[in-house]
Amino acid sequence: MLPTITVDDKKCNDPLSCRKCLLICPAHVLGLGTKVGPRKFQEIDRSQFIVSGVRFERCTGCMECVNICPKSAIQVSF
Amino acid sequence: MCVWCERHADGYERWYFNPANYARKLYKIRKEEAEAAGAEANPQAAGGMALLSRAFVEALDRNDREAIDKMKREAEELSWATHFGQVITLEDTLKIIGIMYPIAIMTCACRRSMLGLPDEENFTCMGMGPGMYKWERWPETYRGGVQFLTPEEAKEVVTKMNKRGLVQTLFTFGTPYLAGLCNCDYPDCSAIRTRLDYDVKMLWKGHQVAQVDTELCNGCAQCIHRCQFKALSFSATQNKAYIDPFQCFGCGLCATECPQDSITMVERASLPALANVW
Repeated sequence: MLPTITVDDKKCNDPLSCRKCLLICPAHVLGLGTKVGPRKFQEIDRSQFIVSGVRFERCTGCMECVNICPKSAIQVSF
Repeated sequence: MCVWCERHADGYERWYFNPANYARKLYKIRKEEAEAAGAEANPQAAGGMALLSRAFVEALDRNDREAIDKMKREAEELSWATHFGQVITLEDTLKIIGIMYPIAIMTCACRRSMLGLPDEENFTCMGMGPGMYKWERWPETYRGGVQFLTPEEAKEVVTKMNKRGLVQTLFTFGTPYLAGLCNCDYPDCSAIRTRLDYDVKMLWKGHQVAQVDTELCNGCAQCIHRCQFKALSFSATQNKAYIDPFQCFGCGLCATECPQDSITMVERASLPALANVW
């Protein structure tokens, strides 16, 4: 069964510092992407990183990420 | 001989021993346009991976063969022209370090993505060739910066990475320009993951496969944790390691670990059934 994983970007504003969901997921489902593509001669700002269900097909629905997020930014539904 | 050797080895034993594939015109100003191929490709773009969206996973889920094959083919063709990888052994890696310059160590985008690793723990990627001078000139444009290494230092680094259990892989940035030397593992490395989870050939197998000599294998099982490709298991009946030759990517990590030296690397081309299994 394929889930829908949504992360509220307004609540999750510095995932590189928090990392809790990335480290708790047993299947390494979640990953960071950026809101902007590669830029010429510029490092992407930390605030542009967002969490998403990179490997959502591996999500078992354990909800560990939902429970551990200090901002309750993650929703997982099947 | 893989297709990359056929096209780009130009007399050398392997395409990645041909020094021409490490030389390339330096950083250039890119136009804002659709992804180009070959030497014009943007090395910092996601390449083929960006094409594998939710639609692809849903097609896999309902086993829509036609849609799967079409999307797979598109992603593979884009990645083969712009950014794809091949597994190499530590031995080959050390040879390559001897023929190209400069080489630098840098942070790994895959591990930053999947684990949010802080920069100071994340220097596991290496960049090769004149393209690296772009980051000597503008170090602030690569997250964590880059640290140039002497050939001896680079050899020490990859040997340590191999000991840690990371697979050495070569990546093109605008095929056939080889600029990436990565130290990969599953599931965080997007190349191994895309290949194993989706069967999309963004990572090619290496030119060898591992073989266990059952006379020498004593069943210590020390090799079992070394395989990142699900090719190595343990036969409880025989009390020996078992390597699936069709699954093996030829990275050699099991061979470098075996205390009995019971695992050897055999040329893929010498095995008729495996010669074209990439």
